[in-house]
Formats: sequence, structure tokens, C-alpha cells
Amino acid sequence: MADPTPRPGRLIALDGSRGRDVVADAEALAARLRARGRDCGISRWDASGVFGDLLLADRDELDIGPRTLTLLYAADLMFRLKWEIRPALAEGKVVIAAPYLNTAVAVGVAVGLPDTWVREVLRFAEAPEIGVLARERKPHKGWRAHPARGYAEFCVALLDAAPPGLARRKGRRRAVAWLRAEAESAGAPPGRKTLESL
Amino acid sequence: MRSPARPPPDVARAIAERDRSRGLLIALEGPEGSGKTTQRRLLRTWLESEGHEVVSSRWASSPVVKPLIRARKRLRSLSVEEYSLLHAVDFRHRIETTILPALWAGKTVIADRYLFTALARDAARGLDVDWLLHLYVPLLWPDLVVYFALDPRASSRRVAATRAPRFYEAGQDVTGLADPVVSYRQFISRVIAEYENLSLIFQFVKVNADQVVYRQHQQVRQLVQKAVRRPWTEFSPEAVSEWLIRHPDLAG
Repeated sequence: MADPTPRPGRLIALDGSRGRDVVADAEALAARLRARGRDCGISRWDASGVFGDLLLADRDELDIGPRTLTLLYAADLMFRLKWEIRPALAEGKVVIAAPYLNTAVAVGVAVGLPDTWVREVLRFAEAPEIGVLARERKPHKGWRAHPARGYAEFCVALLDAAPPGLARRKGRRRAVAWLRAEAESAGAPPGRKTLESL
Repeated sequence: MRSPARPPPDVARAIAERDRSRGLLIALEGPEGSGKTTQRRLLRTWLESEGHEVVSSRWASSPVVKPLIRARKRLRSLSVEEYSLLHAVDFRHRIETTILPALWAGKTVIADRYLFTALARDAARGLDVDWLLHLYVPLLWPDLVVYFALDPRASSRRVAATRAPRFYEAGQDVTGLADPVVSYRQFISRVIAEYENLSLIFQFVKVNADQVVYRQHQQVRQLVQKAVRRPWTEFSPEAVSEWLIRHPDLAG
């Protein structure tokens, strides 16, 4: 017999500095939640395909700056909210948005944008019920230009102002530091208690 | 709304020096059917005949999002916010790759629609103007904004005379009306009301778009001849310095 009072949908944000870590943790978390009987889905970066389409163009001719990339992230996030996240929440599902808002802010900060501006651009998005940080594997290593792996890696691949080597390490360090500071200000360890209640 | 942030001293110096020789940025604004494109062509021809190098930049023409915007418009799948964000991407990319490089090289830039188009249309769609302005921060102020003023009825008549307004152009995504002409009439009234508010804040110079084409062109010529550059160091330091920092070879 169907449950007459379906549970409300819940939005979990999973953010991190590396796409690979975010994906791995999102899949692990989804598997745990499913094992506990929760109907759960993952909303991933570039669901709209806007970033993937850019890879088809000649990158040298694109000359894309950090603000353009942030606006693209926002457009993609709006697409995810409209077509994936909000409909799933309305059906009572748990949605793991991986990545969500903090990844965009952290990467923005790492490439020199004011966090206030990035937050303002993304303010149309609802706050997650729970925020989780991805486990940062190899935090001493810099970002690599692997555009298909995640938002940060995509930015590194496209921003000609991001030189190889030290700046990529420095950039990642800055992003990780921002994410940790943000998580601490939200209450440490981020989201763990509430995750157990799901 | 001037940019509060100040660039590093060497960049500020390069910007101040370039301000003397940079090109003029002219923005043409107005509702559909107001004759902006005709005036852009006439203005360009005239400026070139006077020995100026001219670059035109058209709305939604950035290769980054142009195909995407067209495809999504065709599918009618854009939310109000997405519509707004994708146009902000287009604008930012054109600022960085077309408009600023041309101005820096001393060329005159004619923008056939500028960010005010987005502000007017998206505010008419119900979005918060404060959020919309943030999408376009840091602002690159045009030196001259020519607004081709036309009342909603005339705009509707001119647009409908040649074709049915397109879905988003007619604002059918927000009016919910099935008839594009009826929807356009309703939507363009809101857009024009927003333009009128913006014209005060951003000091548009109005040209009556009901006049004959030649008379409008004469007026535009006079405005351009009298136009004074808004100093980058005062009006647009952050927009120019952000771009220049990414192109250190130009800063000298």
C-alpha cells in the first residue's frame, strides 16, 4: 500500500575543488541513501551541455574570462534546477547536487573574482538543506586541465590566464581553503548530523 | 553606477594613457521596429567615410552562446533566468573579445543593443533589476547611448507589418498569450516602460524614431560629433583593468 504521506524532497549540496572527488563522493552518498531506502538522484555539472559544446569550438579563438565562465555555470545551474532538481524535489526525492553553489564560488575566488559577486549571480538558487564537502584527495596537487572532469578543471583548461604549475596549485589551495572556511562557518563537520537523519 | 574598485597603479596608468587615443563606444537602444539596425548601418558608413575605423557588435552574436540561444529559443525551453544569464554570457564575452580590444586599438564601436536591452527586457519579465545589474558588473559605460524612442503601438505595428513576432520577442513565455501580436503589444509596453526608467539613470539621448530615417540619421551624426568620452579611469576602471590584466602584452 502506498504511503499516504510522502516524505518531502531534500536537497543536499556536495561541493569540492576537484570534479573527480565530487563525483566519487556523490555516487557513494547516493548508494548509501538508496541502501537505506531513500529515492535519490544526482544532479551533475553541465547537465545543459553548455560547457561540453564549448569544447567543440576552437579554444584559442574563444578567449573566455572568469566572469563569462561563472555566468555559464549559473546558466547551467538554472537548467539543472528547472529540469532536474526542482521536479525531483517535488516528487519527494533526495537530490544530491554535485557540485552546487560553493564549488562555483570557490573556483571563482581561486581565479580572482570577488566571492560576493559570484554569490550574487547565483542567488536565484535555493539554499540546500544540507551542505557536504567532498573529501579532497591529493590536496597538495594542483588542478589539471581536464575539461570533462569538472568545473574547476574546465576553467583551468580554458583560462589562458591560468599558467601551468604553481598557479594551479595556488588556485586549488585557495579554493580548498575557501570551501573549508565556508563549511566551518556553517558548523563543523558540515552536514554530517543531518545526513544521518535522512 | 560607477565601479568602486580601483586597478593596480601600473594598469591604471596604462588605462589613463590609452583614454586619450581609444575609440568611442556608441550604444544604440530602442524597442523592436525602432530602426536601430538601419541607423547603425548609416552611422557606420558615415564614420568610415570620415576616416574612422568602425566595429559593429550585435546582440546575441557571441560564438560562445549564439548557437545555444538559438537552439533553446527554437525549443521554447528557456526559463526567464536562463534567458537572462545566457544573454549576460553573450554580452560579457563580446565585451572582452570584440568591444574592448577594438576600443583599445582606437576603433569606434557601435553596439546594436547594449546591456540596457537585457535590463529592460528581463525586468519586464519580472526579474529583479538589482540582480540583473550584478550580472553585468563590472560595467563598461558607453560614451553615448542613443535611444530610439517609439511608442508601443507603433512598435507593434512596425513589427507585425512584416512578420509575426517570435515567441520570446513577443514575451509569450511570460504573458502566456497564444497570439504573438497581442502578446507583443502587451510585453513591449512593459519593456518600453523599463527603458524609460533606464533612460533617466543612464542618461540616454533620445531620438524620435517616428521621424523619417534621414532626419534621425542627421540627429545621430550631430550627437556623435558632439560626443565626449567618459573617462575609463572614472567610469569603467574595473571592467577595463580586469580585461587588461588578462592581456599584459597590451598594457605595455
